[in-house]
Amino acid sequence: MAAVRGALLKHLRVNATPLARNPNPTSHGLFALTFNAIRRRFCDEVKGSFLDKSEVTDRVISVVKNFQKVDPSKVNPNAHFQNDLGLDSLDTVEVVMALEEEFGFEIPDNEADKISTINLAVEFIASHPQAK
Amino acid sequence: MGASKGQKLSGLQKQVLSLYRGFLRAARSKPCEDRCQIESIVSAEFRRNSKQVDRKNFFYIEYLLRRGKKQLDQLKSPDTMGLSSLNVSSSQKQNAKT
Repeated sequence: MAAVRGALLKHLRVNATPLARNPNPTSHGLFALTFNAIRRRFCDEVKGSFLDKSEVTDRVISVVKNFQKVDPSKVNPNAHFQNDLGLDSLDTVEVVMALEEEFGFEIPDNEADKISTINLAVEFIASHPQAK
Repeated sequence: MGASKGQKLSGLQKQVLSLYRGFLRAARSKPCEDRCQIESIVSAEFRRNSKQVDRKNFFYIEYLLRRGKKQLDQLKSPDTMGLSSLNVSSSQKQNAKT
């Protein structure tokens, strides 16, 4: 009986060690990958996940087109708010605030100051997991 | 300030834009009707100053920033309905102009 238990314990221990060694540098990449996949699945339920880029583009463009001072025919994905759409820096603040409301998250000041084209807005929003 | 087409913003411009953002954020927390009125008053005020104030008049711009921050703090308080405090300040400015 004791011998069987000993053998069993040994067997279990051998089985357990590879698991404990898992987070070492060689397997880190794979481990991190699976871990991120699991975490992202959690994010789907709790925080929301990354939005599809083409969907973001469409929604950003429709927000900008609805902005009263913008000529809707000039709006395209490469448009620059100030150079192409004729907006000033105060208008740009208003557009970015409207985007915040559309996507339901807050853009911090230092990021908001950098958003000067539709493409930059799309990139920022698509890389932001909290955007809805 | 609206005159500059370049992307690079000065520190002072960033402060002004951040204050503007602060006002628009504070307006969001008010009821719908008040919010629209606050937004139109605030945007008219910023736009008027952006045209009238010389962009090199740093002392005056800094003074306006300080005053704006105080008004924003008042607006943020849930007791402030927004309209009264902003109406008073805008009528004061009109008085000062005439």
